[in-house]
Amino acid sequence: MSNWWAKQIQRADQLAPKANGSKELLKFYAQLLRAQKDIYEYLCSREGWLPSGDLESDWPVLSEAFPGFLKVVEKYGPATLAAEAHGLSATSDEVAAERLVTYWRSASDIQFFEKAFLQPYLKWLAESGGRPIGREISASERYCPFCGGNPQVSFLQNKETTAESGNRDLICASCLLSWEFRRVVCANCGEERPVKLGYFYSPEFDHVRIEACDTCKHYIKGVDLTRVGFAAPIDDEIDAAPLDLWAREHGYTKIELNLVGV
Amino acid sequence: MDVSRRTFIKTTLIGGAGVTVFGFSLAPVYAQTQGLKIARTTETRSTCPYCSVSCGVIIHTLGDKAKNAIPQVVHVEGDPDHPINRGTLCPKGASLEQDIVNERRLLKPQVRRPGATEWEDISWDKAIDEIAVWTKKTRDATFIDKDKNGYTVNRLETIGWIGGCTDTNELNFLAVKTMRSLGVCYFETQARV
Repeated sequence: MSNWWAKQIQRADQLAPKANGSKELLKFYAQLLRAQKDIYEYLCSREGWLPSGDLESDWPVLSEAFPGFLKVVEKYGPATLAAEAHGLSATSDEVAAERLVTYWRSASDIQFFEKAFLQPYLKWLAESGGRPIGREISASERYCPFCGGNPQVSFLQNKETTAESGNRDLICASCLLSWEFRRVVCANCGEERPVKLGYFYSPEFDHVRIEACDTCKHYIKGVDLTRVGFAAPIDDEIDAAPLDLWAREHGYTKIELNLVGV
Repeated sequence: MDVSRRTFIKTTLIGGAGVTVFGFSLAPVYAQTQGLKIARTTETRSTCPYCSVSCGVIIHTLGDKAKNAIPQVVHVEGDPDHPINRGTLCPKGASLEQDIVNERRLLKPQVRRPGATEWEDISWDKAIDEIAVWTKKTRDATFIDKDKNGYTVNRLETIGWIGGCTDTNELNFLAVKTMRSLGVCYFETQARV
């Protein structure tokens, strides 16, 4: 499944030179994806080892990849992240493990290192048939059915060969898996009344839109793969960062901040 | 990292030159935001009126919810969540937008006189008057109260009614009441859904 990471990296590399306001965000994200791909490949290539889903018992294996990850963030990240990466690399394994376990039990979108480092682990856990242990998984359709994470971005994709309409899926912010979700429903509160759901478009981002809810005042961005089939939702979502600022100026809060903090 | 989402949003909005919670400068992003032209659409789930298959559709309406603005239908697509059609539509259903937005759509009544080859425009008042006169005249002349065996039938076989598939329930209700009260037998609302 390394192809998945390669595709994300390729798309970020493709978008960054052409991007206007989000150029620096994409350049960093491309490097972050490379670091995540390395973690993923390291985990996949461990002979005789599969993730158990219990983070504490898997930490000895995971911890070997942590320093390399911190180095990438320190090298390519903004000053704030670089300083924190530097500080983390000087702390003990136990401190890092404690931070990751805290995130594991109660995920938050402002915990950059925990979220970014555990994404490839959770992705490999799902692909290798494991289940996360010690994470609360809600039965609500708005949370990831595998790990209970928030949706990061939604995308539309044709699933019926004869249909022009796109089915809507949500991508999990924690494990990057996607799950089916209904089209005309708020991904945060479940609002279904059309008058309360606004879809905001801009010609500058033809295939990306804001899917906002006037009931809970939250939004998620949607990437339309029926218009641009080679788009990668998590990259294109970052490319369209100006839409996030517009949404916030108009009183909407994002369901989950992405890995560049918008 | 001791920064809340609230703090992040605040730094984003003040002066437009804030940084994200992770320290990325938002100045270039904010500059691009200023030039965005944003349009709001609404997506409404509905049912295609054309036939009894009853495919689900999503109607996209453009409008910023301003009080004096008239919403404009800009697109109609199959509903991918609908169990019957799962996002697909037949060619007629796929052109549903044209049922609403079409410059060739008739906006006033027309009449074709007996023997004429062309339709002519007629005002609503004149059309209603003429329909009333012709209905009364025809009914008075051809109403059948008993059949040849002497059974009471109270029917009118010389007037018919054809509805359209996009007629509303309310219009069809009134049509049924009116036509049945006149004794009209040849009656079709084209209500399929």
